[in-house]
Amino acid sequence: MTMPKLSMTKDSRETLLYGILGIIAFLFVWQLACMYTNFGKIFPTPLVSIRAFFLAFVQPIGRYTLLSHIAISLRRVLVGYALSSVAGVIIGLLMGYSKMAYAIIYPIFCIIRPIPGIAWIPLAILWIGIGESTIYFIIFMGGFSQMVMNTMDGAQNLDTELVGVAKVLGAQENQIFSKIVLPSTIPYIFTGLQTSLSTSWMAVLAAEMITAREGAGWLILAGMQTGRIENNVIGMISIGAVGLVLASLLRNLERRLCRWSVRSR
Amino acid sequence: MKARTKYTLISIISLILFILLWEFLSQTGIVSARKLPAPSKLFDTFIYKLSNKNPDGGTLGEHIATSMKEALLGFFFGIAIGVPLGICMAWFKKFDMFFRPLFDLIKPIPPVGWVPIMITFFGIGIMSKVSVIFIASFIPATINAYSGIKQTKDVHMWVAQTFGAKNRQVLFTVAIPSAAPMIFTGARVALNGSWVSLVAAELIASIKGLGYMIQTARLVGRIDVVFVGVLVIGVFGAIMMSTLSYLEKKFVKGGRR
Amino acid sequence: MVREKSINQETPMVRLENLSKTFHVDEGDVRVLDSINLDIKKNEFLVLFGAGQCGKTTLLKMIAGLESSKSGSISIEGKPLKGFDPKVGMVYQTTALFPWLTVMGNVEFGPKVRGVSKAERRKKAQYYIDLVGLNGFENHFPSMLSGGMCQRVGIARAYCNDPQIILMDEPFGHLDAQTRYMMEEEVEKIWAKEKRTVIFVTNNIEEALYLADRIIILSECPASIQKEYTIDLQRPRNMVSSEFLRLREEISTLVELREGV
Ligand SMILES: Nc1ncnc2c1ncn2[C@@H]1O[C@H](COP(=O)(O)OP(=O)(O)OP(=O)(O)O)[C@@H](O)[C@H]1O
Ligand SMILES: [Mg+2]
Repeated sequence: MTMPKLSMTKDSRETLLYGILGIIAFLFVWQLACMYTNFGKIFPTPLVSIRAFFLAFVQPIGRYTLLSHIAISLRRVLVGYALSSVAGVIIGLLMGYSKMAYAIIYPIFCIIRPIPGIAWIPLAILWIGIGESTIYFIIFMGGFSQMVMNTMDGAQNLDTELVGVAKVLGAQENQIFSKIVLPSTIPYIFTGLQTSLSTSWMAVLAAEMITAREGAGWLILAGMQTGRIENNVIGMISIGAVGLVLASLLRNLERRLCRWSVRSR
Repeated sequence: MKARTKYTLISIISLILFILLWEFLSQTGIVSARKLPAPSKLFDTFIYKLSNKNPDGGTLGEHIATSMKEALLGFFFGIAIGVPLGICMAWFKKFDMFFRPLFDLIKPIPPVGWVPIMITFFGIGIMSKVSVIFIASFIPATINAYSGIKQTKDVHMWVAQTFGAKNRQVLFTVAIPSAAPMIFTGARVALNGSWVSLVAAELIASIKGLGYMIQTARLVGRIDVVFVGVLVIGVFGAIMMSTLSYLEKKFVKGGRR
Repeated sequence: MVREKSINQETPMVRLENLSKTFHVDEGDVRVLDSINLDIKKNEFLVLFGAGQCGKTTLLKMIAGLESSKSGSISIEGKPLKGFDPKVGMVYQTTALFPWLTVMGNVEFGPKVRGVSKAERRKKAQYYIDLVGLNGFENHFPSMLSGGMCQRVGIARAYCNDPQIILMDEPFGHLDAQTRYMMEEEVEKIWAKEKRTVIFVTNNIEEALYLADRIIILSECPASIQKEYTIDLQRPRNMVSSEFLRLREEISTLVELREGV
């Protein structure tokens, strides 16, 4: 199973070859489908899509160019995500660390936990109206319960022996929290941050499709409504790309902060 | 034991107080009932919606049935294709090399992003939802099956091979069983994703289902119906997830790694 | 068992008087310590020898302040023990290192939480890291170290906090025989250099005889003092000398007899 080092170059060459083959096959099928089936009546060919993609950098779609749409979505995600992460970590630590807080908060938390962030959209609109804060709220609800659950899990899995060790070494109660509870919870927090990021990304799309007039979500939906499917494709590709970049940034951060943890290796 | 009873009691009291406070705020008008209908009102609405088609053209049961049908159909298709694909990608190198770039291209796109395209293709009916949910569950199913197989301990494989097992036998007798916990993890993520995307898809464009129900109720300003719908979405999501956890406990021996 | 009154008139470093401990659990009460009376002199190397699950860890934890009991008392240099005493340090049965801290971070933890300035605690930590032979591993995380190395870190961490009394709970229980011998030598060297009072728990007779000034044999659960031996063999001990072998024989007979009953 394990190949000697020499074959590595051959391996990677093959990987590249097959990868390119796969992509070409995909584009080929797409092109053929556009040319010879009904698919082509509604769907642009790969060439048209690629052209539209580059054009979108300079030509506005709706009110903004592609980059601005993405920037708008990105800002919304980051605001909502930051809020939900901070709140989620605080509540999660509280519930994980204090049995009393857990007993009080958890049953109430259980009511909202299984509700997907996206399901809050109609309520948010009725409560706050249509605007930026509505979108923040929806993204917040999307990530919040995941952050709480993961952080709480981490704090509850705290190794009590290590708390004892720290106390014997002279640590005070507040130091136990900052020097033991917090660091041992960080890997769990990162797990939460990863899942919450993809949920937030999804929530912003849905929210923009329903309530906004700009942003990547709107771009995708508007593509459908105006019959310009290439905008739709552009929106999806850019959303995917940005999501990918964000996730790998986060993974790098985790690698740096949790060098000690087995998971991050 | 004593402490546990104490905390259970506190939990119950906390929940009751929460509901009473909610009822109080709404009944006294401190928070307008148009923003926050009282729990008692929500209960009435729930009963009402069980048999009444107003304001969205369907009883609660019908909406639930539609949503469940769409979600589960998409979920099963996603698992049925995603798991074998993941296994094949992990086991056969060429397969992996061929599909990997394509898969990596699709993977980061949030399922909701597919809604408009699917509607363009399949119209506003059930097919568009099922296909969005298919994508939502297909991706995590593939990823987890893939890493489950990849993580099969080499030692297990050697043991099997020294006993003279053929490649295919090793796959079926060693790799797949030891990947089962990961496959179930994938299923859990997939089910969760299915439910979320279903709600999104129904909110954006549909003619039936829980998402549609809350969206319509929102448009006519029936916040009580929205509330009931949102709570029902939560409850059914939780029910499906715990059913899956139950199945997992029953079928996966040896526990999760 | 009659214990002779200590001839030494100075106050003992640690004194246990009538110390008992009962755990209250769902299934009922478990008594693990049964009226233990023991004086430990300053700079003594005391070994507690007992079978598995007899309550050795519990006894150490009580001296460390991690467990308490209403019956009996513990005093340190004549003062009754309340909570955690900075004079006490502990090396654990499981390594119990902080996985998110480097070797340096672990060793300097005690001085750090006590507010010792960075330069000072670094210097001290470096001294103990060198002492246990981990020079060059300061920035390694515990997950990158072997079991023996982790125990060395644990020992350095305990010493770095400047305790007068060091409790060692089967620190080498999980190590292979070879590493174990090495670590025993190491511990003795450190003890010779850094005279402290050491209470060392083990269930290995040779380890006990190699290290101890005095060995306390504990009975099975609930633990009480069954017998004690003062070992005044020349250090470092010759593990094949006739006296060493005779003591080993005697203690193992005692333990086998007990287990035979
Ligand atoms: N916190 C606790 N609650 C209830 N019972 C406990 C607790 N701690 C220890 N015990 C019980 O007390 C007994 C003695 O435990 P202890 O860990 O002190 O033994 P030990 O001699 O250190 O054992 P070992 O040789 O395995 O280290 C055991 O039966 C254990 O189950
Ligand atoms: Mg022990």
